[in-house]
Amino acid sequence: MAELLRATGVTKRFTGALALDGVDFDVRSGEVHVLLGENGAGKSTLVKVLAGVHRPDSGEVVLADGVRLAVIYQELTLVPELSVAENLFLGRPPRRFGVVDQARMRRDAVALLDRVGLAVDPRTKLKHLGIAQQQMVEIARALDQDAGVLVLDEPTAVLTDTETDRLLEIMAELRDQGVGLVFITHHLDEIRRIADRSTVLRDGRSVGVLPRGASVEEMIELMVGRSISEQYPRHRQDPGEVLLKIDGLTRNGVFQDVSIEVRAGEVVGVAGLVGAGRTEVVRAAFGADRYDSGHVEVGGKRLAGGDVQAAVRAGLGLVPEDRKGQGLVLTSSVGENLGLVTLGSATRFGVVDRGGQREKAAGMASALRVKTSGLGQEVRELSGGNQQKVVIGKWLLADPKVLVLDEPTRGVDVGAKVEIYELVNRMTAAGRAVLLVSSDLPEVIGMSDRIVVMAHGRVAGELPAVGTTQDQVMALAVQEIPA
Amino acid sequence: MDFPRKVAVAALSASALALTAACGSGATGSGGDVTIGLAVSTLNNPYFVELKQGAEEAAAELGVKLTVVDAQNDATNQVNQVQTFATQGLKAIIINPVDSKQATPAAKAAENAGIPLVAVDRSVDEGKVVSEVASDNVQGGSLAAIELGRATSGEVVHLQGIPGASASRDRGRGFEQGLNSGGIKVVASQPADFDRAKGLDVMTNLLQANASIKGVFADNDEMALGAIKALGDKAGTQVQVVGFDGTPDGLKAVEDGTMTATIAQQPKVLGRKAVEQAVKAAKGEAVQQVVDVEVKVVTKKNLAEFKK
Amino acid sequence: MTTSINARKVLSDNGALGGLLVLVVALSVLAPSFLSTQNLLNVGVQAAVVAVLAFGSTFVIVSGGIDLSVGSVAALSAMVGAWSSTEAGLPGPLALLLGLATGVVAGLVNGALVSYGRLPAFIATLAMLSVARGLTLVVSQGTPLATPDVVSELGSNLTPFLPVPLLVMLVFFGLTAFVLTRTYQGRAMYVIGGNEEAARLSGIDVRKQKLVIYALSGLFAAVAGMLLAGRLASAGPQAAVGYELDAIAAVVIGGASLSGGVGRASGTLIGALVLAVLRNGLNQLQVSPFWQQVVIGVVIALAVLLDTLRRRSTR
Repeated sequence: MAELLRATGVTKRFTGALALDGVDFDVRSGEVHVLLGENGAGKSTLVKVLAGVHRPDSGEVVLADGVRLAVIYQELTLVPELSVAENLFLGRPPRRFGVVDQARMRRDAVALLDRVGLAVDPRTKLKHLGIAQQQMVEIARALDQDAGVLVLDEPTAVLTDTETDRLLEIMAELRDQGVGLVFITHHLDEIRRIADRSTVLRDGRSVGVLPRGASVEEMIELMVGRSISEQYPRHRQDPGEVLLKIDGLTRNGVFQDVSIEVRAGEVVGVAGLVGAGRTEVVRAAFGADRYDSGHVEVGGKRLAGGDVQAAVRAGLGLVPEDRKGQGLVLTSSVGENLGLVTLGSATRFGVVDRGGQREKAAGMASALRVKTSGLGQEVRELSGGNQQKVVIGKWLLADPKVLVLDEPTRGVDVGAKVEIYELVNRMTAAGRAVLLVSSDLPEVIGMSDRIVVMAHGRVAGELPAVGTTQDQVMALAVQEIPA
Repeated sequence: MDFPRKVAVAALSASALALTAACGSGATGSGGDVTIGLAVSTLNNPYFVELKQGAEEAAAELGVKLTVVDAQNDATNQVNQVQTFATQGLKAIIINPVDSKQATPAAKAAENAGIPLVAVDRSVDEGKVVSEVASDNVQGGSLAAIELGRATSGEVVHLQGIPGASASRDRGRGFEQGLNSGGIKVVASQPADFDRAKGLDVMTNLLQANASIKGVFADNDEMALGAIKALGDKAGTQVQVVGFDGTPDGLKAVEDGTMTATIAQQPKVLGRKAVEQAVKAAKGEAVQQVVDVEVKVVTKKNLAEFKK
Repeated sequence: MTTSINARKVLSDNGALGGLLVLVVALSVLAPSFLSTQNLLNVGVQAAVVAVLAFGSTFVIVSGGIDLSVGSVAALSAMVGAWSSTEAGLPGPLALLLGLATGVVAGLVNGALVSYGRLPAFIATLAMLSVARGLTLVVSQGTPLATPDVVSELGSNLTPFLPVPLLVMLVFFGLTAFVLTRTYQGRAMYVIGGNEEAARLSGIDVRKQKLVIYALSGLFAAVAGMLLAGRLASAGPQAAVGYELDAIAAVVIGGASLSGGVGRASGTLIGALVLAVLRNGLNQLQVSPFWQQVVIGVVIALAVLLDTLRRRSTR
């Protein structure tokens, strides 16, 4: 197999911090080379060095003669309002006498789409395609530019299982055509299905290359640097008094008659398909959105609807699903983000006790093992897992009775996931409670004490977590409920 | 769901209408079947407020109705206003152009509608105007230079109005023409945009660079008053200040001795004469093509004539 | 060694400071009279009105909003103050308070329109720009009014080397820095500007805070209006036209982001000084009036550009 790309001893520094430290990496024709590592391990930086976006401080990247490299990023770089064909030939449409040759563009488009197995009319506007199909268009575009090396940066994060299967098939076909693929993913099972080799990065260093067929345990151990005995380390205990009572909550057309009880020391999971109304219910209970009837009690006290401050005062906290959009102030530092919820209680006569806030934030940052250069670092520079720890940390500082976690581990790597689970354990051990909304079924089953399953805006049923299988949860989640 | 919103919108628009009506009646003179329009450049300046008052007085005396609109110093706005006038069946229109050059489309609109147009205070560069009522800015500038040369000699500074505005151009040109006659020399010309606060700042800065200044000519009284603030005790003693316009505040400074002279235009007379000419034109009588309203040098000696 | 590191840190924290120093050095060379104590005091006095307006605008811009009405509100507040003393015969201090209250009320109206009326800040304050200017004309009937003595004192000198406007500017600088860094309101401004939804979901009463923010901006505008009127001993109907743009320019030159969440009192002070130094220098160098606006525009763009480049290089 011919070597298409070789990087040797790549080192890259950002304002003092070592992002990459002497990394060797190579891609051969006709292989899928997986790049594996926790968030912040240096995968994205390496990809940017390979693509020439960043220049390495030392070391070199050599592409074989005539080989081009294309990167498919998670955020697609297509134009929704243009047609599929126009997107494929963006900026370089086939022209005749200075006029775009529409007929030829369509013919070429069909041929290209065929290579990635996408059967759509090239005249369709891109925005009418699903996200998976759009990704295929992006891949097809890269292929047309004769990319010898194709880098796919977490393409499956936004795909459903069937779509992922289809993508992996296409990747296998491209491999057979002699393309060298670099594949980044957090889903270890995908690696087992497609990888020919896996290079594992940790703290900017290449810590090992795993052959085809490596076990999930081997991967995790190399990534995290220690073996993780349990993926879901839940310590269950006897529940106490009811801390959160959602009673008959209804928002017309969105969710109906939802009742959930959460007791002290308990983790209640909320499972269901996307669109079942889970996020809507917990946001309404927290006061972030309005509801039409029903009521919410925290610690026996009834909350006014649509009043976040009242909910916070009563001891309710929410870690929202959209971390960057709703949880963090990206323009502010780690320390300030940690102090967000306690800002009011740390204020005397209008003046904030900055020393106290800093002290508490520092304590929380080290307790949560937030990987940061200091409290003054901007939170936008942290990896996803560490950002999530900051969002949870700001609530822990306020010591709420009940903390609602909405998709707390989405986009978070294995090591940080377990640390977040440990935080959940710590809360329940201290007599607090957690309401865990998650689409990750093993997580809901592994970390909850009871599971409430929602379907079509209603509670479809409740299951004990111990002994329940994913199939049982799914059976409830997909059931039809008469309106 | 939508109902309260609709009510709110309706209430808002109703109150807006009522407000407009109330304001409208304030701007309109009383009685008569002859209606004349007056398009003022701005009412954000005491000078033009006086011009408007003169016009209103004359209209009341002559028994015609006067509708006043304010262009807020926006030439485009003024063209729109005159075009609206032209469709309202007015018998004559008086325009006080924001800018002489940019008033041409307004003149065209009046001409096309067959309505006689009278220009007041500033001329209209191109277009048919039956009568032009103005005080001569160029002449005023010259008079200012002569008066300043009489009061002092040596280095003087010139505070200019908004760069490119016609009053700045004309007064500045006249001032330069008048310089030959005296022993004064301009060492600095800087813009202060007809604004009192800017007059203060610019004068303060010029004093730093030129300590030996003996005189100041400002394109209007507002800037002159700012300069007097900057000069402090020196105003009227070591440094002679000449302004332009003869506004009440300017006349008071002349009385106090801090301002040596101001070139008085007579805005009330301008407004009055413009209405007189417009009424004649409306009735089809002969009009005077150019009405010169005198500009006068106001000093302490003849101050009494101008104080009201 | 340590001093050079400190100097470098101060400069890299504050890109506009470098720009200000370059301007000052260049002008000292070009205009010999520039560096005199008296002239530097003049610059301070001339910066004061825009600086106080800009401090108020800093609150608004840090919280992700914009206030276009500050110039008009300044004029209205000064006019109400002058009118209540000159025409209505109220005692000076009471007239001053009434003027300041006018600014606060205008700010509260802005804040209510933005937070409870859900109007974009640009539109709400644009409307106030027009309304406040119009009311200024209504109150003044188009002519300048004399200010009460207590306001005129604001334009005078305490001692030959301590002009009151300079003092007021420094006091309000300290106040702004204190509010922004130490108070709940100040910290909330950064949070709201950085991510309004995160602020709401963290239990911050965003609507109430916005009301406070715009009221503060109105109060600062009123103070600036009093300063301006004090310097002239009269309140003019056309005072402070266009000052809102100077205020916004000062804030942005000072390194604040118009998208919110970023900004500091020291930066805004430097921004206001840059504008004042520039105007002072252009007068002393006797640059042609036609070119002055070009130069000012170029310097504003350069100052912000330098700051952007500096940030990018430290990323």
